[in-house]
Amino acid sequence: MSSLLPDVTADFLAFHTLDPIINLLGERIKKIQKGIIVMKYIIETDHLTKRYGTNLVVNQVNFHVPKGKVYGLLGRNGAGKTTAMKMMLQLVFPTGGSIRLFGKDCRDNATVLYRNIGSIIETPGFYGNLTGEENLEILARLRGQFCKNAVPDALQIVGLNKEKRKIFSDYSLGMKQRLGIAAAIMHKPKLLILDEPINGLDPIGIWEIRTFLTKLTRDNGTTVFISSHVLSEIEQIADIIGVMHQGRLIEEVDMAELRNRNQKYTEFELSDGQLAVKIIKDHYRDTNYTIQENTLRVYGSNHLVGEMNRDFALNGLNVTKINPLEENLEEYFSKLIGGGGIA
Amino acid sequence: MLDLIFCELLKLKRSKMIPISIIGVLSTPMLMLLEALQTHFDKPELAFTLADIYKNSVLYSMLLTNMMIYVAITAFLFSREYSENTLKIIIPIPVSRSKLLIGKFCALLLWIVALNFVTWVGIFMVCGLYHIVFTLEKYSFSVAIEWLPKYLLGGILMFLTISPFAFAAEKTKGFVAPVIGSAVIVMGSAALANHDWGAFYPWTAIFFLVQGKINSNGYITALSIIIVLLLSAAGFVLTFYHLNTEDLK
Repeated sequence: MSSLLPDVTADFLAFHTLDPIINLLGERIKKIQKGIIVMKYIIETDHLTKRYGTNLVVNQVNFHVPKGKVYGLLGRNGAGKTTAMKMMLQLVFPTGGSIRLFGKDCRDNATVLYRNIGSIIETPGFYGNLTGEENLEILARLRGQFCKNAVPDALQIVGLNKEKRKIFSDYSLGMKQRLGIAAAIMHKPKLLILDEPINGLDPIGIWEIRTFLTKLTRDNGTTVFISSHVLSEIEQIADIIGVMHQGRLIEEVDMAELRNRNQKYTEFELSDGQLAVKIIKDHYRDTNYTIQENTLRVYGSNHLVGEMNRDFALNGLNVTKINPLEENLEEYFSKLIGGGGIA
Repeated sequence: MLDLIFCELLKLKRSKMIPISIIGVLSTPMLMLLEALQTHFDKPELAFTLADIYKNSVLYSMLLTNMMIYVAITAFLFSREYSENTLKIIIPIPVSRSKLLIGKFCALLLWIVALNFVTWVGIFMVCGLYHIVFTLEKYSFSVAIEWLPKYLLGGILMFLTISPFAFAAEKTKGFVAPVIGSAVIVMGSAALANHDWGAFYPWTAIFFLVQGKINSNGYITALSIIIVLLLSAAGFVLTFYHLNTEDLK
């Protein structure tokens, strides 16, 4: 036994000398695991804050933008959307919090990270004395990935290939916006950060951009972080909605969940609203409803619409319109921020 | 870095500032021609050479006309990114803010030296015209070429003293403050051009340096150089610090 003791001690010591290595491996595994979890989100902010003097423009915002999804950011003017996007693009320095892009802190290895991002912030600015082609060439050269085909391809995608010799100062607002989109996509980025990209576009242009963005996410797995005032546009392309109000992110919700959450209702236009309410109270006690003058909204009772209509008629009410409807994004948004539209 | 400088030069394509600046710096040769004609008709007994004209032209170019033009092109280069709203598309590429400024300063240096070269060529050409009509003593290319290094050195020194205007253009995001500033320094230069104290005023000191006047004034050349370098360093540091810490709202 005594002869064994030194060997056991040696083994014990040898095992414990491995402790730092094991600990190090453990740390690395934890980091890798964390990385995998973090990479779930292409953009992730942690208590992102921006303050100008006493004005808190962005207040502890936590965005979570998953890979390959379209994230629609909604908010009224001055809600902090553009400032939040500018912080992600290093145009504005955060007062507090952090930003992770592609699972990494945006300040680490920024050159590599930002080459995978395309962006438009507000109305895109270009050099007025240069053509669209020359403007894009400058951006491609500055990016250090100058490829001869990238510029003409991008111009073709946005439909500016026939106007490539026109100087930027002669562009219409819509053409300027298209060139901004060409600049954002010409290097085939994995993430697009677009602030009001459809401003100034005609309906066909809007449709084209919407189709293009949908195709980008579907075919290339590109993640899109987009803000817009046009709620119907966001509604059509977004997978996730974020709502900012007075600098705070007050809602971040999956579009599918939102559709389920949005209530279906039937709208009746009647000759006497008060009488209709009495009938609902007497015969359909558990039904939710709202009344505004002679317009009655009955929520979640679509199967009872026929019965209700008959009761209204039997009580001498004239029903001039019955409309089955669903709460749209605008109504949801309005409710969320406590009334008022987006503008 | 070469790409950055190439891009800065490409940004000037079709820019009206190019012909405006060339016409501006050609005003010095035209003023010299007028002065030569005036001397020829008013004081025909006075003989002057090509070297005399080059010597006098340094005053016009370094203290008056060229300086004002160089401040204007500095204001144009450094404020246009704000006026044309292009920083929001360039910074996220990403382009380092410091590298962007280095590219701009390199383009500015090239532009200033090129314009000084244009002035030098312009003087040689208008003097050639004068020589054809009235005969100018010692008019030769070898005399002109002796003045070229002074013109090029003058361009570099003017570039050094112009950095505070880059900061003013960046800070105010426009032309007005730098152009008013240039008017003020030109007035100062005009007042001190024939005064010994001009050796302490950076914008006159560079003129004295090119003319080799400082030692003859009894001041130490190194002191003037230090004053010029301090002003220049202050301009560069402020320009870089401002852009690197500025929120691009």
